[in-house]
Amino acid sequence: MGKRISVFISVLFAFLLVLITQSSVKGDSQYIGSEACKDCHGDYYKSFIKSIHNKRVIPGTPVNRDGCESCHGPGAQHAEKGGGRGVAILAFGRKVDAKTKSSMCLNCHGDSKQMAFWDMSKHRSTSISCDNCHTVHSMKEKNLKAMDPELCFGCHTAIKIRANKQSRHPIKEGKTRCYACHNPHGSFGTKMIKADGVNELCYKCHAEKRGPFMWQHAPVEENCLNCHTPHGSNHLKLLTAKPPLLCQSCHDASQHPGTIYTRLQTFQGGAPSNRMYARSCLNCHSNIHGSVGPAFPRGRAQVR
Amino acid sequence: MKLKITIFTAILCLSPFFDIFAEESQFKGEITLTGLFRDINGNEAKFKEYNDLRNGAYGRVRLNYDTEKYFMDFKADDIAYDTQNYRLGGGMWGKFKADIYYDEFPHNFTFGARSFYQGIGGNFLTYPGAAPSLNISTWNEFDYSVKRKNYGGGFKLEMLKPFYFDVSASREERDGLYPIGVSLRSPGGPALEQLAMPIDYKTTNIKLEGGYAKKPFFFSFSYLYSQFENDNNKLFFRNPAAAPGVTTPDIFTLPPDNHYFKLAFKGAVKLPMNSKFSTNLAFSRAKSEADLVSYYLNNAGAVTPLTLSDPKFNGKIDTQNYDFVLSSNPISFLEGKIFYKHYKTSNKSDQIVTTDITSIPPTEVNDLFDYKKDTVGVELGFKLPAKFYLNTFYHYIKTKREREDIPENKDDLYSVELRWNGLDFMLPKVGYERLNRRAKFEGSTDPNDIEFWVRRFDAAAKIRDTYKVSIDISPIENLNFGVVYKHKKTDYRDTIVGLTDEKSNLINIDGDFTIGKFVKLFGYFGYERIDSNQFQRQFAAPPPANAGNPITGPTSATRFNWDAKQKEKEYDYGIGAEIYAIPKKLTFVLQHDYVRSNGLVNYTVFRALNPGETQDNIDLPAWDDYRQDSYMIKAVYNVVKGLSLTLGYAYERFNYKDAQYEGFRYTVGAFPANNTSALTGAYTKPSYSTNLVFMGATYKF
Repeated sequence: MGKRISVFISVLFAFLLVLITQSSVKGDSQYIGSEACKDCHGDYYKSFIKSIHNKRVIPGTPVNRDGCESCHGPGAQHAEKGGGRGVAILAFGRKVDAKTKSSMCLNCHGDSKQMAFWDMSKHRSTSISCDNCHTVHSMKEKNLKAMDPELCFGCHTAIKIRANKQSRHPIKEGKTRCYACHNPHGSFGTKMIKADGVNELCYKCHAEKRGPFMWQHAPVEENCLNCHTPHGSNHLKLLTAKPPLLCQSCHDASQHPGTIYTRLQTFQGGAPSNRMYARSCLNCHSNIHGSVGPAFPRGRAQVR
Repeated sequence: MKLKITIFTAILCLSPFFDIFAEESQFKGEITLTGLFRDINGNEAKFKEYNDLRNGAYGRVRLNYDTEKYFMDFKADDIAYDTQNYRLGGGMWGKFKADIYYDEFPHNFTFGARSFYQGIGGNFLTYPGAAPSLNISTWNEFDYSVKRKNYGGGFKLEMLKPFYFDVSASREERDGLYPIGVSLRSPGGPALEQLAMPIDYKTTNIKLEGGYAKKPFFFSFSYLYSQFENDNNKLFFRNPAAAPGVTTPDIFTLPPDNHYFKLAFKGAVKLPMNSKFSTNLAFSRAKSEADLVSYYLNNAGAVTPLTLSDPKFNGKIDTQNYDFVLSSNPISFLEGKIFYKHYKTSNKSDQIVTTDITSIPPTEVNDLFDYKKDTVGVELGFKLPAKFYLNTFYHYIKTKREREDIPENKDDLYSVELRWNGLDFMLPKVGYERLNRRAKFEGSTDPNDIEFWVRRFDAAAKIRDTYKVSIDISPIENLNFGVVYKHKKTDYRDTIVGLTDEKSNLINIDGDFTIGKFVKLFGYFGYERIDSNQFQRQFAAPPPANAGNPITGPTSATRFNWDAKQKEKEYDYGIGAEIYAIPKKLTFVLQHDYVRSNGLVNYTVFRALNPGETQDNIDLPAWDDYRQDSYMIKAVYNVVKGLSLTLGYAYERFNYKDAQYEGFRYTVGAFPANNTSALTGAYTKPSYSTNLVFMGATYKF
């Protein structure tokens, strides 16, 4: 029994010794300090000392921890091997797994409301890492590699094309940004929108459409995207299709809703109709988003 | 006294900055002055849709002050123009941040619109004499444009980490004119008036948020209050179709004032096995109040009184949202999440009984629409051998709504995406998604009623398949190239009348290449084609009883089926170069962008053709067709360190053609007949071409 205890204590002692040795290696000999990095990486070092990461007054910044090695990992072996991109160091290059790279940032930034829901982010699940958009050495706003929307357009090329269409939000003019509607770090909303539902998001800017109206238009109340497309459209008002056909695809009834309006009902046709020319249905149904007009004549039909 | 309090408060707020100059600091900035000379032919409103480009000098300022403890940023753009914006931010590192801002921009629709009405800009439109003048040259000219001014500020407290507290407030003012239209007769009729609706909106938002963020926990409470005020809740106008002697104005109702608040709790906790549980619980309430209109002008143009069960409408909609998400990465090759989302609106607005003894039926009551959506889903990501990665998800969505035709949907949404990281310089992806929507139809059971056949596309049963293939290639550090192809097909399987199917094909190519230190080339190309088909029936009211039946109903000149095939084709490309003629000294920038869209509506009528009508001459060959070309050349010369000069020229041309606006006329018909429509010119002739010459100097310090 005593022998067994001795063996157990010996094994335990050996295990603890290994642990202590490892800890000692990590804590002392592997970390060489930012000054050592400066010799080879002067430009990066300069940008680091000018950055927010070098503020001693902010608790937990790299300068209060291990400097460059807070993000890049211990540099002793890297230095010993004569340097080189990614040689015994985390260089944030393409070869490094997205999760590994992001985890370095999340060590500090994980404790923030911005990153609280990163685990739910579509960006995370598609292996986008922090360094795809940010670089701590950029010295630009929020350390972004480029500004929104150019940054987002780099990957979301279809959206870039849509934003060029004739009907669009003022994205190109810089009067609204992708992040005005989307949270790239993850949210509970679909498409990472900054709201619980689509209409809630739209009403943030279009508060006049919020109502509540006496005469509602059900598809409008349920989802603005039933008729509108947010990133750009060939049709006025970011509509998914053009009236009257957009409206008729739901409203077919006797008299004018089901009537075909062709070229002959345009200004140049033989029988111009105000249901066809100019704004078509919207010529009269101007309160299409909702109305508090009188029941007669047709507040329900959103004409007053 | 008030002034003294204000000054004292301001000094108190600035007190943390008193020792700001006592330590080592870094002050830097940038000032740009740009002169612009512009020549424009055609529609200025479309060219200036969201900008204020005119002859003159534009200023841009960036200032930054940074010390070990404090920081301050100032930004200003387009000083004194309709697009001017300013932001001043500052704070103590790690303690707090604060900012104030002002931003404005226009949304221009149409300049030089015309109307016979007087009082444009106000909420009462009238005209002199017995009938409006037909002489358009005597009409009043005005611009359809809305200017937005947005200002506000925020404060973030960080010194109590891991606790945090944010507060922000903003106010947006919109001011201008927007085109609307009204039918002259009730409930419609062949004539309309286009009116200039006054926009005088103010929206005030206040948000408070406090929380705790320290692993393994995160939680936050937030409160948002938003108030929308409209200075004009009604637009009064003299209706040309009013009966002789009727002086009572007609009324078009404008958006009512509303209030909105939202309370939310968000939380997350890290769990064993690399897992996390997150939740979002929110409640919001929107309320509005409107004084109702108690009369209308009937078909004879006479005032018809209405009896209302309440002269005021009180709108109230509550919204509840609950999200519960469990995300996990228990083993290195598997990650995923399961979630449940509940979203419900409850419409508690007033139901107003309106009585009109001259109508059949004599009473009408507004419906209260609300809906509920429950979503459960599972998403899984697998790390496969050979550096393949598979992402899959399944969402089940059940929607219940207060609607007569389709009160319930059940959606199955599946997705699978495979990507390969086998080569560092290449990332190919292939994906597929299927939406299978089932719809519970509870509409008409009478086949002779067209409602029996109609399925509204927003809720109709459908199968939507989406295929996506993409590849990003970066064989060398200076070359990036990407191609995306997406095909989407939607089949509204139960729809006989309405939108029956849609199809879209999209391809995007994007790339950039930097050649040494001398040239950077970039370009993109996009092509999208959208096809949609809808089947409709035109008919007068029964008899015969089956007039609305698209299968057995009669076919005649006034009762027949028809269909519309819409096609949209869009091309879009851009090419550009940055030429570093003298590295770090002289740079040339060249850019060309091109967008072209062609739309077509191909109609088919299933009846004997009318005289002069063919299946082709009824088509609409111009359906929001446009073409936009722009060219820009710019030279940037760095004179000395910190000072650069810019000289450039840009040309832009926009050509637009559309069947609904070709041959535009301000009036159709003749006054004082009741069948006369009068338009104001809104959205007509948006084509333009412009030349821009600009030169500027930027000083950085």
